[in-house]
Amino acid sequence: MESLERRLGELRAEVRRAAASRDAARVRALRAELRNAERDWDDALARLEDRQLAPGDAATSRAPLRTQPDGSGVAVVAGGAATAPGGGPLPPARLAAAPADGPLLPLREQVHQALTLLDVPTAPKLLSAVHDAFFAGEIPSARLTSLRRDEERSFRSAPFARPYYLCAALTAELLAPARGLLAVSTWPMDRRVIGPLSPRVNYLSAAIRVAESFLRIPGPGPAAQRLLWRFAANIPGAADGTRAMDPALVARAARAELEVHADDDRQTRAAAAARARRQLDDAEQLFGSRLQAVPQAGASGE
Amino acid sequence: MNDLDARLGRIRGDAAPRPHNARTIAALTSNPGCARRAIMDAAGVDKPRLASYLGFTAPFGQSQFAITRGNAFEAQVKANGCAELLRLLREQLGLPIPEVSYDDLEEVGGQRSPLVRHTSTRSLLTRAARAGDDAGTLFDHPLLRLVVGGRHVYLEPDLIAFRLGGRFHVVEIKSFAVIDGQADGDKVAAAAIQSAVYVLALRDLLRETGTGPVDVAHEVILVCPENFSNRPVATFVDVRKQITVLRRQLSRLARIEALVDLQPPGLTFDLELDDAGVPHRPAAGLADDVRAVPARYAPECLASCEMCYFCRDEARGQTAALGRAAADELGAVPTVQVALGLAGGTITPADDQAEAAALLREAARLRQECLGATA
Repeated sequence: MESLERRLGELRAEVRRAAASRDAARVRALRAELRNAERDWDDALARLEDRQLAPGDAATSRAPLRTQPDGSGVAVVAGGAATAPGGGPLPPARLAAAPADGPLLPLREQVHQALTLLDVPTAPKLLSAVHDAFFAGEIPSARLTSLRRDEERSFRSAPFARPYYLCAALTAELLAPARGLLAVSTWPMDRRVIGPLSPRVNYLSAAIRVAESFLRIPGPGPAAQRLLWRFAANIPGAADGTRAMDPALVARAARAELEVHADDDRQTRAAAAARARRQLDDAEQLFGSRLQAVPQAGASGE
Repeated sequence: MNDLDARLGRIRGDAAPRPHNARTIAALTSNPGCARRAIMDAAGVDKPRLASYLGFTAPFGQSQFAITRGNAFEAQVKANGCAELLRLLREQLGLPIPEVSYDDLEEVGGQRSPLVRHTSTRSLLTRAARAGDDAGTLFDHPLLRLVVGGRHVYLEPDLIAFRLGGRFHVVEIKSFAVIDGQADGDKVAAAAIQSAVYVLALRDLLRETGTGPVDVAHEVILVCPENFSNRPVATFVDVRKQITVLRRQLSRLARIEALVDLQPPGLTFDLELDDAGVPHRPAAGLADDVRAVPARYAPECLASCEMCYFCRDEARGQTAALGRAAADELGAVPTVQVALGLAGGTITPADDQAEAAALLREAARLRQECLGATA
C-alpha cells in the first residue's frame, strides 16, 4: 500500500511535467497508468476494509470509491449509481455483476438502470439522456445499436441463462419488433406491446417517472433539469411559462393527459399481449416475429 | 403504349430505368419547354452518368452535411412518438388532445420492401379515412405511389400525413431556418413543390381506393427550425398552384409519344455497357445524338438538371444562355454575334428583329456616350 502511494505521487509529478512540455501522447499514456495505479489502490483499500468489516457492509462502502471512466483521472463519486432508481438499495446481484477491477458498469447494466427508472420501452437517445441525468454519465448511443442483436444471440444460444435480457418492444398489429425501442424481458408482455396510442402513453409515463425521480434526488444537476424541461415543454399545462419549472406540476399534467389515452391503449395492449402469448415461441415473445418474404403473405395487417 | 415503351427503352439502352423521386418530379416543372430533358426523364436515362461520360460532370446532388442535418432535425421532431410535433399541432392548429395515435410505416414487420410498405400504407390510410376520427392521426414515413410517364414511382416522403378535422394533411419537415417569420424563398418553393407531389400521390391513393368524401388538404404543414434555435415551428403553405403545375407536367409526360415521334428514328443514349458495366460507346457519337434533341438552356437549369453543363456549353454565344429576361427582350435575335451586329448597324434587321434592333442600337448609343465621356 505504501509503495502504491509512492508510485501514485511519482506518476502525478510525471504527468504534470509532461503536460508542461505539451507532450500529449505521453500525458495520455501516463494518465492511463495513473488510473490503473489508482484502481489498484482502491482495491487494496477495499481488501483492507474487507478484513475489518463484515462482508455485507463491504459492498456498499466500496461503491462510492469507483472512479469515472471518462479519462479525467479525477476520482468522481458515483453516488447515483449506488442507489437504485426506485430510491431503495440496489439488488446485490447488480453490484456483484460489476467486474471488480473495472470502474464501469457493463453497458447492459447501465441500460437496465435507465430502463428500470423509466419503466416503459424507450428509444436509445432518451435512455442516454436519462442515464446522464440520474446516473453516472451518458451512455454512448452508438454502442446501443448492436445491443439488442447481441442479447438476442445470447438468448438463442442459451435461453433464460441470464436474470434479464434487454429485448424488443412488439408492435401490436404484427407482433414484430418495434423500430428503435429497448425493453426489459422481465416486464409483463402488456408493457412491451406498442399500439398506436402507446408511444404517447409511454412518453407521458416516462415524464411522470422522471419528475418523481427529480423530486427524490438531492440537488438535481443541469442534465436532469434539461431532461425535465424537455418533457415539460411538450406536455400541455406542464410548463407554467413564468415560474421556474415544477416537477410536481409536470407529473400532474402528464397524469391528466394520460387519463385521456390510458383506457383505449390498455385494451389494445392487453389484446395484443394475449395474442403474443398464444402465438409466439419464447424467443419471438422477447425479440418479435418478422414477416417472411413470401409474396402472398401480404402486409395489410393480420 | 407498348410501342412507346419499346422506343423509350431503345433510347435508354440496356441500363435499368432510373426511378423518379419527389425531387426529380419537382424538377420537371422547372423547365417545361426542354424536349431533351423531357425525353431523358421519360425514358429514365441515367443523366448524371451520361453527363460525366460526355465530360460535363455536374457538381450535383445534396451535400452530405445537409442530409445529416435534415435527418437529425427530423429525428428530433419525431422523437418519442412525435412529442414535439404534437405540441406544435396542438398549439398552432388546434389538434384535439385525444388525437395522438401514431403509426410507423418505415418498417412493416421487419420488412422494408416498397411493395409491403405501400400495401400497408394503403390499408392504414383507407381504414383511417373510413373509420372516422379515432383510427389514426400520425403516419410516419408512409410510402405512396404515383404514376409518372406511365410507370409507378414509389415516393418515400420524409413526412407524416395526419388527420385533422376529417382531412388529411401532408407534413413536411425541413431543416432550413425560419428567421423572424421569414424563410429563404427558393427553399420554401422547393419544399412546396415537393409537398405538392405528395399531396397528388395521396389524392390518387384515396381516389383509387374509393374512400368517399375524405379530402387531402391543399395546405401542407411545413415544420422548420425557428430562428437560430433547434425549436421547431409549423406553418401552413398553400400548394394549389404547384399542384396545378405538376398535374400539367405529368399529363405532358404521359403525352411524351408526340415528342418522341419528332426525333430521328435511330436515336439512342445507350452507353453500350459491357458485362462489367464499363461504357464503350464513343463519346462523340453519343454527343451527336444528345444534340439531336433540342434543349432549352436557361441559367436556372444549373440548379436542377444534371445535363446543365453540357447544355450550357452548347448554348454558348446564344442569347438564351443570358437568362430569361434578356432572352425575352431579344426575341428573334438568336445569337450574341447577331445582337452585336444589329447594335453596331453592320447587319440589317429582318422584319421581326426591328423592335429588338432599335433597342440594341439605343443601348449601343448610350454605352458610347458613357464610355466616350470618360475616355
